[in-house]
Amino acid sequence: MIKFENVYKFYPNGAEAVKGLSMEVSEGETVVLLGTSGSGKTTSLKMVNRLIEPTKGKISINGEDIMNQDAVELRRKIGYAIQHIGLFPHMTVAENISVVPNLLNWQKAAIEERIENLLNLVGLPPEEFTDRYPSQLSGGQKQRVGVARALSSDPPLVLMDEPFGALDPITREQLQNEFIELQAGIKKTILFVTHDIFEAVKMGDRIALMDEGKLQQLSTPAEMVENPANPFVEAFLGQHRFQLSLLTKTLGRLIEKNSGQEPGEKPEHRLSTRNSLVDALDTFKKTRKNILPVYDGKKYSGTLKKEQLMKIISEVLGENN
Amino acid sequence: MGIISEFYGRLGEDILKATYQHVFLTFTALVIALVIALPLGIFLAKTRFKKLSGLILSIAGVIQTIPSLAMIALIVVIFALIRLPTIGRLPGIVALVLYALLPLLRNTYTGIKQVDPVIIEVARGMGMKERQILFSVELPLSLPVITAGIRIATVWTIGIATLVGLIGAGGLGDLIIRGLRTIRIDYLLAGTVPAALLALVSDWIISRLERWLTPEGLETGG
Repeated sequence: MIKFENVYKFYPNGAEAVKGLSMEVSEGETVVLLGTSGSGKTTSLKMVNRLIEPTKGKISINGEDIMNQDAVELRRKIGYAIQHIGLFPHMTVAENISVVPNLLNWQKAAIEERIENLLNLVGLPPEEFTDRYPSQLSGGQKQRVGVARALSSDPPLVLMDEPFGALDPITREQLQNEFIELQAGIKKTILFVTHDIFEAVKMGDRIALMDEGKLQQLSTPAEMVENPANPFVEAFLGQHRFQLSLLTKTLGRLIEKNSGQEPGEKPEHRLSTRNSLVDALDTFKKTRKNILPVYDGKKYSGTLKKEQLMKIISEVLGENN
Repeated sequence: MGIISEFYGRLGEDILKATYQHVFLTFTALVIALVIALPLGIFLAKTRFKKLSGLILSIAGVIQTIPSLAMIALIVVIFALIRLPTIGRLPGIVALVLYALLPLLRNTYTGIKQVDPVIIEVARGMGMKERQILFSVELPLSLPVITAGIRIATVWTIGIATLVGLIGAGGLGDLIIRGLRTIRIDYLLAGTVPAALLALVSDWIISRLERWLTPEGLETGG
């Protein structure tokens, strides 16, 4: 879907923001650009919709070089969400969402329908929110509108620049979870910028860790945590490694396949092979059970005992010390 | 009651005529100043040549510091040199335009400048053209500041317009000058009171206009 080929960005003052970035993002995938400030992650993102033009190298979307396209046309085809300050303060929620459809000359009725669908999708009842102004919304609500706006014209590709950055931790986590669920349904190709490793692990199918303009490692979260590519990646994960391992190791690879009798627990008493160790721990705590069935989608795949989980966790702790 | 009705009986017509002239002078000057200052202010706010904006804004600032009487004298002298009429409305309006320029220019410039660059970048990132960004984002968001400039310029111009009576431009200044020459308090008041009222009323009207023009979302919370 998006392909960076040896992309560089130099500024006239000599600053080198991005140095030789090459990577591909495939359709329906969420790739998180992770790094500290000044790592080149935001520059890389903004080069995709040409808010920043690359100095050297090629970026293509579906095989088409973006530099051969009209910048304005290109941007209208790409969703763009940033921290909540990005909402137009003088426009209502509905007006904010309808900016791009209007630029694309959609019919009025189609826009209205789209607004309603999107507000429902992001969990804001339309009858209550369409006519509100951003100043009348909470941080979390603003961010939801920001997400709805980025999806307004149903673009296949969405760029998100720390979209949950300005939120308190609780709201942020709630929005992250909702967004993951939303994304599972709409399957957009997403390029997501954050400086927060936990957010990256949570949101990303893959993480592109950048430092000083260079891509340090591009891999799945689990792979990155288990096999840091170089000392920088290792240092970046730093003291969080144990915690990150618990978040990225999923039950699928850990439980013993068990063809025995299906215990037939209630859905909330089930684990999924995609659950992380932390998720499993949470479920044990909530259900107060000592043994839980694990499902791969709808298929029964085995059981996990609480002591087994504890043992795995202490092994992970051992690996990281 | 008798004195008042007599006062207005004698002066009523003069006051009406002078007030009308005053409003005409002020309004014409403001419209011309606005036509110059609005595009120029937008240009200065957006140009990459920051030194140019600095220069033009300071020139407008310097014009403002010239005492109004001296300014009128200066225009008369310059007009005489370039063979333009030295009395009447033209030199009067030119003087008023020069004074109204600064608040309009400065507020347009600041109004556009204070729009959050993040908002503009988002607008661009969503695929708005530069013209669309100006008209649907920057101008609406700077409207309160620009209207504040119009308000200041209006009140100033109404005040200074009393002086251009000196060069035969007409207006309420005529009555004040007549009062001064003949040492008559009634003429003096006939010029001063309507001028003051005019300033107050315009200020009030524009403040209403300001509230009406302020985009709704900017009112609550800010």
